[in-house]
Amino acid sequence: MSLLAATQLGALAYVVLGAYLLLLLGLGLASLLKSRGAKNIEADYYLAGRGQGLLVTSLTIMATYFSGFAILTFPGWVYSDGIAPMLFALNLPVAAAGIYLIGNRIRKLGQAHGHITPADLISHHYGNSATLRFLVALVGALYVIPYVIMQIKAGGILAQGLFQDVEHLTILGQQVSIEDTGVAVLSLVTMFYVLVGGMRSVAWTDVVQGFLLLSAMILSGVAIVHALGGLGGYFEAVSRLDGRLLTMPAPGERFNAWSAVTFCAFASLASIVQPAQWMRFYAARGSDTLRKTAIVFSTVLPVCFLLGVFLVGLGGRALYPMIDGALPEGMSKPDDIVILVISRQFPEIFGAFGFLLIALILVAVMAASMSTADSNLHALSAVVTRDLYHPLRPGSSQNERAWVGRAVIVLATLCATGLTYWGAQGTLLQTITTFFFMAMAFSAQLLPLAIDILFLKKGTRQGAIAGLAAGTLTVFLFPPLGSLILGAQHPVTLLTADLKTLLDVGFCGIVVNTIVFAGVTLFTRPSDRPHPAVPATDQDA
Amino acid sequence: MSKTGFILTAVFLFALFMGPGPGAMLIDGDPRDPAVWFGIPALYLWALLWFVVLSGCVVTAALTVWKKP
Repeated sequence: MSLLAATQLGALAYVVLGAYLLLLLGLGLASLLKSRGAKNIEADYYLAGRGQGLLVTSLTIMATYFSGFAILTFPGWVYSDGIAPMLFALNLPVAAAGIYLIGNRIRKLGQAHGHITPADLISHHYGNSATLRFLVALVGALYVIPYVIMQIKAGGILAQGLFQDVEHLTILGQQVSIEDTGVAVLSLVTMFYVLVGGMRSVAWTDVVQGFLLLSAMILSGVAIVHALGGLGGYFEAVSRLDGRLLTMPAPGERFNAWSAVTFCAFASLASIVQPAQWMRFYAARGSDTLRKTAIVFSTVLPVCFLLGVFLVGLGGRALYPMIDGALPEGMSKPDDIVILVISRQFPEIFGAFGFLLIALILVAVMAASMSTADSNLHALSAVVTRDLYHPLRPGSSQNERAWVGRAVIVLATLCATGLTYWGAQGTLLQTITTFFFMAMAFSAQLLPLAIDILFLKKGTRQGAIAGLAAGTLTVFLFPPLGSLILGAQHPVTLLTADLKTLLDVGFCGIVVNTIVFAGVTLFTRPSDRPHPAVPATDQDA
Repeated sequence: MSKTGFILTAVFLFALFMGPGPGAMLIDGDPRDPAVWFGIPALYLWALLWFVVLSGCVVTAALTVWKKP
């Protein structure tokens, strides 16, 4: 935080953050007005009436795909480990292909049969099964819940960074830290616009947040190249870095080639089938929207990473080197590198305007956290309402379920905010952090089912249940969860710890999931009922 | 699958394996003498190259194969 203090933004931070939050509230209200009089209340609240166009679809998918992780942690990895982590960005074109090849089929089925959550489609395909629906909802929740909590927490930490000149606030005689105030304000604003506008509001705010984040990624790249004297100076400086930063680590080490391949191939698709993205496919207007979104996603995002924020990580290592393994002054962790570079370079490059850009970028990082939190909060509401509440009360009306969904949003926000306050005292928040790092591996377990439903159509319901359960349990066995459950020295934990150094955890879960799915399918009778076919064209859907 | 679709799929899968994977270990040099091409670290150029190939496949497919109903 000492670094963020050095940005010395003063009143500018209040103005920029205030304007940003007001804009979000305004968009929430505008989307509420737009959704008045909707005939299909659930489809409107959860899927914006299934009519989102290219701009909104592409930016909401991109904003949901990355969190504050993209602009802080990823360049932090490049700062500490060199070029090898950059290769992980090659997962983006794979995700882009998935947006069309998987997403468009999901959209067509969803449109034809009125699906809203992933479990709607999966349980429809395999014949209604409460167990399967519950398992899919559980996998979704294992992804969504830690994400909501951690992003709200991250927003609070960034708020503390923006207002370093204020030690604490006194509210009703109680001293409240800026971090806690930030958590409360950001949670309330996020809850408000998700509550009133549903998917439309979330997607519209994602457009603003996406623009802010993409601009921040590119501008920070410009800052580091400028600081090192242009492109020539930049590459001359980074070419002189320690050779270990410019070559691939050996197998077994962090960011090795095998983990990069499995991550690019499977983690990308895992992010595409997580509940919030899955629902964005349902919400897209048509095939053309997702086809063009794939183009935007495969070009814009990698450019922002490889020619933007990654350059900061590598150039930052040349400009602010570690000395005897210790971080330079002003950095408490590698993730601080982007903020260090912009706070020192922007005023030099842009003069007084540079301070405004610094404030905008800090808000952009906050926006990245909020855009992930809001999407997951909204998805959680849909999962609880459609997959848990509706089966318990099959006679409930759409209106009733929409209100239950809103209650879930309020409750989930209050719980998440409460956990960041009180959970920090014990081990609860630490446990949730552990789940957060495994979230993608859990959502990856939906992939074999999605592939079977959309392309193969060979699996049975029993196979799907067994595969999903086996894949999810496999993920639980990997550290840090495995260490938490079985103990760090348990033979299974030691084995999975070794495997984890070589392969992506989600991939290991998928392998077990697929084997069990195929094995059980072989020995069980397929359903007599024909599977719903993917409509050939938008007109058919 | 059309011929274009087949070629794009093959190139995409090859790039996915070669880009982030073992291919990167073939060109990066030794930590004591890392490979530098045209004054730029070879591994960075490698990442850019395969990004162009992978994204190129997606864009080409989107403009040709996926456009057909």
